[in-house]
Amino acid sequence: MQVFVPKTIAEALNILQDLREKAKIIAGGTDLIPHMRAGSIQFNSLVDIRLLKLSYIREETGYIAIGSNTTHSDILNSCIIQQNYSALHQACQQIAAPPVRNRGTIGGNLANASPAADTAPAFLVHNASVIAESTRGVKNISLDEFFRSPGKTALDPDELIVEVHIPVPEKHTSSAFVKMGKRNAMAIAVASAATQITLDSDGRISEARIALGSVAPTPIRATEAEAQLIGRLIDTQAIASIEYAVNNAARPISDIRASAEYRNQIIFILVKRALLRALEHQNAFIVSE
Amino acid sequence: MTFPIINCTINSKSIQVCVDPSRTLMDVLRTELGLTGVKEGCGQGDCGACVVIMNQRAVNSCLVLVGQIEDCEILTVEGLAQQGRLHPLQQKFAEKWAFQCGFCTPGMLMSAYALLIQNPDPSEQEIREAIAGNLCRCTNYHKVVEAVQETSQYLMANQKTIGVWYG
Repeated sequence: MQVFVPKTIAEALNILQDLREKAKIIAGGTDLIPHMRAGSIQFNSLVDIRLLKLSYIREETGYIAIGSNTTHSDILNSCIIQQNYSALHQACQQIAAPPVRNRGTIGGNLANASPAADTAPAFLVHNASVIAESTRGVKNISLDEFFRSPGKTALDPDELIVEVHIPVPEKHTSSAFVKMGKRNAMAIAVASAATQITLDSDGRISEARIALGSVAPTPIRATEAEAQLIGRLIDTQAIASIEYAVNNAARPISDIRASAEYRNQIIFILVKRALLRALEHQNAFIVSE
Repeated sequence: MTFPIINCTINSKSIQVCVDPSRTLMDVLRTELGLTGVKEGCGQGDCGACVVIMNQRAVNSCLVLVGQIEDCEILTVEGLAQQGRLHPLQQKFAEKWAFQCGFCTPGMLMSAYALLIQNPDPSEQEIREAIAGNLCRCTNYHKVVEAVQETSQYLMANQKTIGVWYG
């Protein structure tokens, strides 16, 4: 198999334009190489992006720019992410195990577009957008529109993710990510949930984002449930009240990891845990009736 | 097809490898380089038997293309012992019966080594998390954890580090 190792983004984009579907971009290779080994591939060339200097976490005005070649371990070592984007930090913590986190990248996790991708629900609640480049120019794709179907994204075959942007959160915002797997590590999510909550000065929810993983063909937002939380004081009633909307958003299948019934049973519990975990950060206490 | 020359350092030796860059690091380490301490358990990053250290970090060598080690430093289990003496980690693994069949052991040692580079005084939880990617069907892991704990205690008590421990 031919391996291209471009030294500049422009060089990479030209190769991708020439080869299109015949080439696959390789970053950490943690998803790609198992696919190659399984033989289920239609490409004959690799474009290795390791020299393109896409490994960084940069503070810009109003947002953080994360290079697509940033590994999950890099995310874990970032104070900015740990302090302001708990959901993303917690998601990366729960991916596989250290050797995989040392190679796997956030760009690869999103581009691979598994319905179970761990960083996806976190990035969704953090309002992320994907910056993709090709010889035709630059695109800014909201993550809400990025995932199309299992393994398929809004990217054209010759497009390269260069960065992921996550806006700086408002004050009194906190987030969390919860994952259920068949064991504590090295587990593809059976179901997962991420939440990001912003409280106003009265302690009412002014913004709510809830994302679900492994319960639909793609990672999804539970927008109906989010809307029902707006304006409410956080209490056990408010959380309980969105159960129906959360369950409605989930449409899981049965596969080797779990049945659809089991996923339906646990998804709201995971959302509840993620909400409580996010709210712990704000020293917000839940008023019980 | 001519293959590019890959310059790297393996177990402190400068090496030039000239192979198909799309082969895995695990395959080349075991075949052309004869470092068969690196084991193939699953070949797809699930078991950790192939873990080596690349630029001070544990990686599954079955998930690294050999072309990607250009200008990198690789450490395998064969690089632990120095001047005929077992590395303290290996010594403690032996003392604590931290292996039975031994197949997972090279990967375990490298994951533990990588942990002690970053964290010379890990808690039990941190050790368990560091070896979470190394599956063992024989030991139930507890003796491995003990061996790593005793290694860190030994190194600290003797003011040595995981990388510089002899002499």
